[in-house]
Amino acid sequence: MAGHAAVEAHWKGGVSPFGVSYGKMMMWFFLISDAFTFSGLLAAYGFMRHKFSDLWPNPGEVFTHFPFYEGHIPLAYVGLMTFILIMSSVTMVLAVEAGHRNDKRGVSIWMFLTIIGGLAFVGSQAWEWYHFIVGTEKGAVRNILVDGQWKDVVVHGANLTYNEYGLPVFGDFFFFITGFHGTHVFSGVVLNAIIFINVLNDTYTRRGHYEMVEKVGLYWHFVDLVWVFVFTFFYLL
Amino acid sequence: MSEFHDGFPSYEHMAIHSEEAGKKIRRKLWNVFWIMLAITLIELWIGFKAEDWHINGTLLIKVLFIGFTVLKAAYIVLSFMHLGDEEKVFRYLVLVPFIVFVLYLVALVDLSEGSYSKDYRYVIDKNIIDQQNEVKARHAAGGHAE
Repeated sequence: MAGHAAVEAHWKGGVSPFGVSYGKMMMWFFLISDAFTFSGLLAAYGFMRHKFSDLWPNPGEVFTHFPFYEGHIPLAYVGLMTFILIMSSVTMVLAVEAGHRNDKRGVSIWMFLTIIGGLAFVGSQAWEWYHFIVGTEKGAVRNILVDGQWKDVVVHGANLTYNEYGLPVFGDFFFFITGFHGTHVFSGVVLNAIIFINVLNDTYTRRGHYEMVEKVGLYWHFVDLVWVFVFTFFYLL
Repeated sequence: MSEFHDGFPSYEHMAIHSEEAGKKIRRKLWNVFWIMLAITLIELWIGFKAEDWHINGTLLIKVLFIGFTVLKAAYIVLSFMHLGDEEKVFRYLVLVPFIVFVLYLVALVDLSEGSYSKDYRYVIDKNIIDQQNEVKARHAAGGHAE
């Protein structure tokens, strides 16, 4: 075996066979477990959607709002949100790259832009939720429990028990999965802010390397990665 | 070298690269960004046009969108998260368990169980619907649901 000597040199001790530091490896392991959680949620969504595929609302008719515009344009707003998140992913990876050159100025500028992008995304999501919860003028008739009586009433928007666009389970999954993702974005912003303050305080200059930036970067890219899937399964399909 | 390493090589310091190498890496990253932006715009364009082309909800559009998504995911993981630059064994350690698990979820839970549960929806859910109607009838009669 040609690689035998190399394998032995890697695995007999003294070096990491994976060639990564402890912290980075553990961040990857955490991300795998988090990815399992999201896969489970999206698989449950896929199951329900497949089961009720004939009754499922067309997302193009649900999410049609755009700020400062009265008419209906499907997909434009989530397209913008996707752009914001991909853009903030790029600024993050540029911060990581600057960190690999021990360039404090570069890291702080790119980290700052990443935090701004993250806040913009969380804000956009709040706006999206607001419109989904408030719903349309017209509304739809649903049989719901009012003051202990089941009644056919006109409902507007969506919550966990009913929604005007279709099956309640559509709203449930929307709130749960985009909410879970939004929580990740928010914690990502908080982590980025902590690391940003550390960068400004020269913590990593003293340490001699900027690996912490790379680690939060991994988390931040993971958040972007999840959004790519949420975007496809909730808005495009 | 810090006290945490017990004489291990410092992998944190190994990642440090020169200004020239950084230039090359930055060009590569921006290229990835433009590719991802192009893919997203194509997705949105197909999404806009799906109604006119009468391909809404067809297998074609599903395969197309999922294919684009997996492509974008690969770019994020391999390029932005630098997994493509890690040791081969580490790359497999991260990707293989996850991909096996996801294939299981998609094939068995979504497609197999999902199809079964759709085809027999009115049989499986009949009991649940009956129970709900019973509760509603009891409510209508002024009683309390247990």
